Amino acid sequence: MSVLPGSIIVSHWHRFPDSKEFFSRILHKKRRRKFGLLEAPMMPPHMNVDTIRYKVFISGKTGVGKSALAARLAGLDFPRMHYETTGIETTVTFWPVKLKDSERVLFFRFEFWDCGESAMRRFDHMLPSCKEQVDAMLFLFSFTDRGSFEDLSNQISRITESSDRVVKLVVGTKFDLFMHTDVTESDVTRFKEVWGLPVFRVGGDVSAGLGEVAPLLNALAEDLWHQDCIAASSVSIATAALSQTDTEIIV
Amino acid sequence: MLQAEALQLLCLTASSGVPLFSRGSSKQLPFSIIGSLNGVHMFGAGHGAQLSSCETEHGSRVVWRVFQESLMLIAVSGGGGSAISELQLRRLLENVWNCMVMVLGQDELANIRNVERLKREVRSCYHLIDMLLERINDGQGMMGYLTQCADCVPLSNSGRVQETLDSFTQAADSEFGCLVVHGRVAHATEKWWSRLAPQEVVVLLALVYSLSGTSSCDYPVFLPQGSPTVAIRLLCFQLLPGVQVCVLCGPKPSLYQAGKELLSRFWSPLLETLRGCLEQTDRSILPPSVNLRWDVQALLLINRESRRAITVCPRVRGGASANATPLLSSARRLELLTHFYTFAVTRYFTSEDVSPASPASEPAPEDFSQGFTHVPVQCYLVTDECKCYGLQSPQHQLYLLTDLSVPTFALRSVATQTLSAITAATGF
Ligand SMILES: Nc1nc2c(ncn2[C@@H]2O[C@H](COP(=O)(O)OP(=O)(O)OP(=O)(O)O)[C@@H](O)[C@H]2O)c(=O)[nH]1
Ligand SMILES: [Mg+2]
Repeated sequence: MSVLPGSIIVSHWHRFPDSKEFFSRILHKKRRRKFGLLEAPMMPPHMNVDTIRYKVFISGKTGVGKSALAARLAGLDFPRMHYETTGIETTVTFWPVKLKDSERVLFFRFEFWDCGESAMRRFDHMLPSCKEQVDAMLFLFSFTDRGSFEDLSNQISRITESSDRVVKLVVGTKFDLFMHTDVTESDVTRFKEVWGLPVFRVGGDVSAGLGEVAPLLNALAEDLWHQDCIAASSVSIATAALSQTDTEIIV
Repeated sequence: MLQAEALQLLCLTASSGVPLFSRGSSKQLPFSIIGSLNGVHMFGAGHGAQLSSCETEHGSRVVWRVFQESLMLIAVSGGGGSAISELQLRRLLENVWNCMVMVLGQDELANIRNVERLKREVRSCYHLIDMLLERINDGQGMMGYLTQCADCVPLSNSGRVQETLDSFTQAADSEFGCLVVHGRVAHATEKWWSRLAPQEVVVLLALVYSLSGTSSCDYPVFLPQGSPTVAIRLLCFQLLPGVQVCVLCGPKPSLYQAGKELLSRFWSPLLETLRGCLEQTDRSILPPSVNLRWDVQALLLINRESRRAITVCPRVRGGASANATPLLSSARRLELLTHFYTFAVTRYFTSEDVSPASPASEPAPEDFSQGFTHVPVQCYLVTDECKCYGLQSPQHQLYLLTDLSVPTFALRSVATQTLSAITAATGF
């Protein structure tokens, strides 16, 4: 499902001058702006920028860094301590993206869903709730915990069904602690070959600006947009077919 | 035992004294001391005496309490400048226990089958416990942890917000809804006040506060008194940064549905109103129609019937005379307010401990007042930093901190005026 990075949207767009007026809407005093659920980035009325909403589920073992990743992607304060998440938490973040062909700019509104492993284990309704109407899943492992890497395949097949139409990405966390790394480059390469899924690396115990999160957010946006385009075209084919049969009946 | 200002919380199994966890100050107490603390309590119990607290000459304190005959919580504080009172430690233990029940349920805690497993499970309470420990002296203007009353912020002309909250709650298949502004209750449904115990509201608000960074959440919670063995769901939505709406509900609606179908339908029309509320509370906890005297340094007003409280700590003083002494720092004023509250409820006023839920095993804070046949309704205290005046009626308690410049004989009328000014303007 995943597409070649940069084939649909402009990669590293945040570095280009023409992106400034869009990115400035998601920033406040050099940090990411916080939005309530009733809010969205404000653009001048004549610019007419569409916002598309996606639900993204973050999955992985306890302590692997799910809550930390959600905070990182939204540019929020990074949890230094590991406190178990005892329920479902969502984090909304906006991300402007420029489509390559049409030069159209869109705001992606990602809603990251994060559920602590212990809550997931103790309460049956957590997993179905996270999967309800989900558009993408991030599967996490930690570079400092080999077990979490080896469990990946298990995790993916446990949570997804082959019929699910969801974007899947893999994220390796704690890449900054390379001294303690338990997972090698060749492990990752082999995994990519077997599963055909992209693997992203994140690390560092602070959220360090747009550049750090741009590759992952752009890839997510690109894959989701691609998935929607395919769905839309199959729907239009289906409706075309349907209307044809209709006419036949009338005739 | 501990350094000044340090605070530590220990949890052990009551029957065998196995330590489950210890939180708080970075330097942990040595195992031998933990053992002795448990031992001395057991020794007392063996002789029919219940050890509940002790104090050193330097203001260090230890407070013990056993919950459900299953777990023992011990709070140990170091002395020093801002010594923590026994009442604060006692409340801390109560709040910690209630948080543990809220997260894990009573069954898990009251019937220990496997200690190792429980040790793992209690980790999920650390976030709230650490927050309670941190905020014991820095509630940022919130005193609910001590008063066991819900911290509130009275909003002016807000009938529409209340109506919207009521219908939103109903649409979410619930009767328990609450609008929280910067951690304080701005509005709640009728059942939220009438059916939840004040102690439950206090820990629910602590949980909601701990979630203020997230956009929405779906947390399973047990209510320590109303539903200690069956989890219900707390749904919470961040409408604006600093404004959260929460409901307690059953299996439906799912977080996804509630977020998608209900949220903007009910709340989008109120966006500007909510922004206004937020601005108002950023300026002052009290609505602009209330004019406090300029020499009021801080106040705590408790509604004893509904168990709600407002804490006010003005940021600037309006209309102060030129030779007025500058305001004390707000942290200091809150600290003084805490001390005065503790002083008054342990000596003169009935503390708000009267809930049937507080077990008989808890000893009365102090027996000083028991020699009196009457209930004091007013009290005052003059220190070298400020003057304090407390008054209580069947419905309210007011704790007031003023400048030294207010003549002592005038304190009573300042307090009565302040009380009627606030209640008239807010209906609190
Ligand atoms: N150095 C470093 N630490 C990280 C990174 N990601 C997470 N951590 C730390 O790992 C710990 C656990 O992270 P969390 O995000 O709380 O773990 P979680 O997956 O949400 O765990 P549960 O909620 O229990 O399921 C925290 O102390 C984080 O600070 C990273 O990339 N680098
Ligand atoms: Mg987590």
